[in-house]
Amino acid sequence: MADLNVLTICGSLRRGSFNAMVQRALPSLAPDGMALKPAPSFAEFPLYNADIQNSTGFPGPVNVLADAIRAADGLIFCTPEYNFGIPGGLKNAIDWVSRLPNQPFAGKPIALQSASPGPLGGGRVQYDMRRAMVFLDAFTLNKPEIFIGNCASKFDEKTSELKDETTRGLIKQQLTALAALIAQLSRKG
Amino acid sequence: MMVGRQLDVLVICGSLRKGSYNAALARMLPALAPSGLSLRFAHSFADFPLYDADIQTASGFPAQVNAWAEAIRAADALIIVSPEYNWSIPGGLKNAIDWVSRMKDQPFKDKPVALQSAAGGILGGSRAQYHLRQCLTSIDAIVFGRPEVIVTFAPQKFDEKTLELKDATAIDLVKQQLAGFEAFVRRVAASA
Repeated sequence: MADLNVLTICGSLRRGSFNAMVQRALPSLAPDGMALKPAPSFAEFPLYNADIQNSTGFPGPVNVLADAIRAADGLIFCTPEYNFGIPGGLKNAIDWVSRLPNQPFAGKPIALQSASPGPLGGGRVQYDMRRAMVFLDAFTLNKPEIFIGNCASKFDEKTSELKDETTRGLIKQQLTALAALIAQLSRKG
Repeated sequence: MMVGRQLDVLVICGSLRKGSYNAALARMLPALAPSGLSLRFAHSFADFPLYDADIQTASGFPAQVNAWAEAIRAADALIIVSPEYNWSIPGGLKNAIDWVSRMKDQPFKDKPVALQSAAGGILGGSRAQYHLRQCLTSIDAIVFGRPEVIVTFAPQKFDEKTLELKDATAIDLVKQQLAGFEAFVRRVAASA
């Protein structure tokens, strides 16, 4: 049994997403003792509306994602940047989950990754995610940061595998750093 | 004094709940606007699916997204009145922006936009506004500067029953912004 269970959340819904490719590459780059699994999808979440929450409660898929987050030792977001910010769908998922009692992100160690065709590799979405995660009392890993710029060239055209060695090395370092952060935060004072 | 024709301004609310302070603020705007501005309200984005490029590729833009985009294109300017969720833009509003941003003849391009927010806390939703400024830059909107309308401690400033904005300072600020925004929109149009 793995010591650490880490949930991975992809911010894109399209099948050919580069960020989903990054997410799929993670298990092969994880240190010993870390098991990674993809989170339940947020594709079926309605748009957040407090009136829904008050009349019929939290939708089933929201509770499923929230439970998966609560059960994990840590989280990794692999997300594209849309219009210099967080994709609306991902932000909507965070908004729903944030309203739950026993708020799932609280105290959770988190790592961020983004891939994009541009030169910044999704830098702006990560800083916006950091900001939202502060409010939610999550602990976002500092470094190394994973910005996969000009991403189309870094995946195998046919198999969609992450083939860029520099990126693979960097992700390995980040996952090791995340394991250390989880250990640090779970240490009893 | 009105110079030129009346400007058609579309008001977009970032919250979907009925009792929203931001919806209440949006409803106040026609009464506080100068005579040169004619305000109308955008349809809700409540029934937009979550953005997924595969939907766009398979079946095109959903009809409700097209209707929303058309309303934006037809307007001379926009006012976005939005709460802040988790220190940022509500996911639903961002999802609506993400959808229309993918269109040809992108609706926000060169569109003058004013921002307003109301929230229960001391910062009054300002973090959503600054994040909106950043996102609107990416889609080439032209965002109005000052005065900013940031309604802090909202529950104290709206009537508990009618949800009317009753705070004189906030009302005055909204009037100033709308007057400044009218001049701004005419300047932008003149230089186009």
